[in-house]
Amino acid sequence: MQNRYSKNQMSLFEGVDGIAVILYLLLVFAGFVNIISASYNDEIEAFSFSQNYIKQIFWMGTAFTVALFILLLDSRFYHMFAYHSYALGILLLIAVLLFGREVNGAKAWFEFGSVRIQPVEFAKIATALAVARLMSNYSFSIKRIGHLVRVALIIFLPLAIIILQNDTGSGVVLCSFIFVLYREGLNKWICIPVLIVATLFICSFLFTPILLLLLLLLLFAVSSAMMIGQWRLHIVFVATICLSAIMLYVLSALLWDGALSGYVSLIIATVGGVLVAAIYALKKNISAMFLTLALFVGSMLFVPTADTIFESVLKEHQKVRILSFLGIMSDPSGADYNVNQSKIAIGSGGLFGKGFMEGTQIKYNFVPEKHTDFIFCTVGEEWGFVGSMFVLALLCGLILRLMKMGERQEEPFGRIYSYCVSAILLFHVLVNVGMTVGLMPVMGIPLPFLSYGGSSLVAFTILVFIAIRLDASPRNGLMSAVR
Amino acid sequence: MSGGNDAYIRRTILRAIVFVIFGVIALRVGYIQLFDTKYKSLADGNVLRYEVQYAPRGEIIDRNGEYLVQSKECYDLMVTYRDIGKQGFDTVRLCDLVGISKDKLLRVLRDARSAPRKATLVAPFVPTEVKVRLDEYNFPGFHSVYRTMRNYPRKIGGNLLGYLEEVNRNDIKDGEGEYKMGDYIGRAGVEAAYERHLRGKDGVKILEKDAHGAIKGSYMDGLYDTLPVAGKRITCTIDARLQAFAEELMEGKVGAVVAIEPSTGEILVMASSPTFDPDELIGRERGNNYMRLLNNKRNPLFNRAVKSKYPPGSTFKLVQGLIGLQEGVLTPAQAYPCHLGYHVGRISQKCHPHGSPLDLRNAVAQSCNAYFCYVFRDIIENRKYGSVKKGLEVWSDYVKSFGYGRKLDSDFIGEGPGTVPTRELYDKRYRGSWNSLTVLSLSIGQGELGCTPLQMANMAAIVANRGYYYIPHIVKAIEGQDSIDRRFYEKQYTKVATEHFTPIVEGMWRGVNVAGAGTSWRAHVPGLDICGKTGTAQNPHGKDHSTFLSFAPKDNPKIAISVYVEFGGFGATIALPIASLLEEYYLTDTITRPQLVDYVKNLPYNPRHYAE
Repeated sequence: MQNRYSKNQMSLFEGVDGIAVILYLLLVFAGFVNIISASYNDEIEAFSFSQNYIKQIFWMGTAFTVALFILLLDSRFYHMFAYHSYALGILLLIAVLLFGREVNGAKAWFEFGSVRIQPVEFAKIATALAVARLMSNYSFSIKRIGHLVRVALIIFLPLAIIILQNDTGSGVVLCSFIFVLYREGLNKWICIPVLIVATLFICSFLFTPILLLLLLLLLFAVSSAMMIGQWRLHIVFVATICLSAIMLYVLSALLWDGALSGYVSLIIATVGGVLVAAIYALKKNISAMFLTLALFVGSMLFVPTADTIFESVLKEHQKVRILSFLGIMSDPSGADYNVNQSKIAIGSGGLFGKGFMEGTQIKYNFVPEKHTDFIFCTVGEEWGFVGSMFVLALLCGLILRLMKMGERQEEPFGRIYSYCVSAILLFHVLVNVGMTVGLMPVMGIPLPFLSYGGSSLVAFTILVFIAIRLDASPRNGLMSAVR
Repeated sequence: MSGGNDAYIRRTILRAIVFVIFGVIALRVGYIQLFDTKYKSLADGNVLRYEVQYAPRGEIIDRNGEYLVQSKECYDLMVTYRDIGKQGFDTVRLCDLVGISKDKLLRVLRDARSAPRKATLVAPFVPTEVKVRLDEYNFPGFHSVYRTMRNYPRKIGGNLLGYLEEVNRNDIKDGEGEYKMGDYIGRAGVEAAYERHLRGKDGVKILEKDAHGAIKGSYMDGLYDTLPVAGKRITCTIDARLQAFAEELMEGKVGAVVAIEPSTGEILVMASSPTFDPDELIGRERGNNYMRLLNNKRNPLFNRAVKSKYPPGSTFKLVQGLIGLQEGVLTPAQAYPCHLGYHVGRISQKCHPHGSPLDLRNAVAQSCNAYFCYVFRDIIENRKYGSVKKGLEVWSDYVKSFGYGRKLDSDFIGEGPGTVPTRELYDKRYRGSWNSLTVLSLSIGQGELGCTPLQMANMAAIVANRGYYYIPHIVKAIEGQDSIDRRFYEKQYTKVATEHFTPIVEGMWRGVNVAGAGTSWRAHVPGLDICGKTGTAQNPHGKDHSTFLSFAPKDNPKIAISVYVEFGGFGATIALPIASLLEEYYLTDTITRPQLVDYVKNLPYNPRHYAE
């Protein structure tokens, strides 16, 4: 077999995962189409280099060249230079912190003429490589605290620098590596709290506090019941809390002029319920139940406490006074405005969208950053639900494909790296698309392959193609051909 | 491979997480795009600017085609706060151009800030030349909207024509979508009565704009735009020159003049005095002027011609005589004595000195009080009705058939009904014990009677027509319509037969045209055959009210008129000359008695009742 490869110079694409490449190309193409319509400026010539989509052609060319180059290199090269690239990445991050240019409040850019480069995009690759290299070491065991700390250090060093750059969004991306750690056998008791916190974070954007509390209550009752059995007891417990909350509410409405809102009633009932359950667990000496209760209380505290007090205890005019004092109210140009406009743009797309270059919200600049971070608005408005689902399906497909590619690796290095890439992509999609539809706070990270921007496109291309190259590793690369 | 099972579980869970995350996002995108329709309309609101194309309001002309009300182009200056931009603009220059104070501008901007996307009115009634200069400077966020404002070439008929006002909350609610904030609505007179026709229909122009509010062109090439439909032109029954003359003669006096064309019921003159210049109630000074008019003790905004309740005085004797004749309790030849009044026991009605006894014709001409006391008592004490109370009921019905004590159902909004006393009123007041002497003052048009000048003019028209009237109306024609409401073409008969009118008309004619035969000689104009009846109504507030009810010529009458001057003294003193002058002017287009005009204008007149 090896003979065939070395004889045939066209063997460059041998072993390369076609599906992943096709998904990648489709995404880049979809991105290009949407960048055209999002950034078309009718005041300058259609083919002028100052049109963003013309620049994007240049970036696409660069990306494809880099991709080819990556496929040419031997897979061992990445393993070999993982730490070097990591060190380089850290240096770049420090350099940008010292000499970089500030854009939108984040000191995260190098500027060469009209070209801006964001080192953080490349630091992600370096970190992924370093994590993969460290964890693929024969002596490495994730069960050992010392080793785990080393992984954490590798992740948190760039993260800290990135946060110092005031580019929190990009930094938090590195947290997605917990995904990889879990795959590699990280204790689920470390993962679950992280997941719960993340879920709550999302949920607090989605639900009203009272609904959130009810959901938490149900969730923990079910998990506790699954752990220790006694389903009937748990059902009675939850029902009692709900009933007493309702009674409290009705009583206060009748006798107390409605002093307690529904939410406050539920909180009081829940606190009572937790105390009762704790006493019960103490008597019966059920340790698992303590753990559940502790987690429950923790997540309850996580639900923005100040916010709930604000919403439920204060009277309307007091709220208005405080809000206007803090300058939160009437801030039409703030973050709320962006998300609102973004939702309007996506929502107005309907099933099939308004068509290419027909999106009025996009065309008339209602959506900020419409060709970069908010590119998904263009997709949503002009291509509708169908287009949005198509793009999401491509992204989902690529992530799953990368995970599958990781699983079929013989070397742990390739597997871990592949998972790192999927984790980074997943986090980007979740936060970016989530923010455009109001599920996530605005964090300012790009949508992989679709958002306009040279560093992001080239960096994601490198990220994915290293994984593709590693997957195709049975084939000899450029270096082995020389041998 | 150790832990292969564990790895498999973890792999599956991770895959599940990916699916869940994408699922949640997909559900959310689907919800926003497919189920929540609010974003669609929000997007339209973002991008589309609905520019109202205000319809020019219909114009009003008089019966001869002369303009009473015209529409003049003007502009509303609007501001959209969000579009002002960060660099701001030259406030001083804007204020100078538009003619508003800087305080006012800052106040408007503060208001506009609370609704940054909405166009807020900065200044209404900006003239075209100012608008052109504003366009030159192109202040960011400001734009002007075409509107029309009222213009009154003759400056007459304030109460008659009415005025416009910005709609209030109730109008918007009642209008069921017809009105929106900033629209104008007719508040009184013709403007209010024919609001529906005058208003027209606003159009809308849908424009696309960008996030900075800059207009990017029309939406869908104007497919959904609608053109404004101009309001209908209304032809009034008013004779503008006669109206102007009437207002001139009434100047400084309190009262009303109403003239009707008997053969059609068309109102030729409707002058309520004091009046106001309709120009005062438009433009930016409107608020101040309005308050000034509202605080004027003589109440110029009150349309006395259709709303006030005046005692008809001696003019009511015509009604009394007609009912007596119809009821058969009176014949034209019947004579009654009069010795300076009518005296029964302690009750008496005084009368001025004149020959006695008089028959009906002369009693009308001389306006004998005693005569009509006899007639009135005969009517309500008629044995065939059994009791005075029943008799009064019959009498009330007769009186109402003349249009008194009820709204005439004219096309004029706010018409008052006046009062005609009923049996129930007296039963209540005197606890059932009353008789014809108790209510004797009714016989000469005093007491509980209250009539609007419109009703009195209508009475003149009834006599002129010998027994019927057309419902008085103010509008002759509406542009685009063949006819006005059908009720204005139907004869309304009184309960008195035509033949009974002859002696009454003759009495009115004698009073004017036979020297020394009656109270109205002064109204005589050779060749015009004016018929008239003076009235001097006592009132508890001061000097008598002066009134004159008249029509001319006697045969085939062209004009029926009622003049009422509060605190004017004898009917012949002031109401009569005014009526006579107006009739002459209408019938011959000339004024042959300038000295009478001077007399009317210079008559000492001081209604102390309205003292400041």
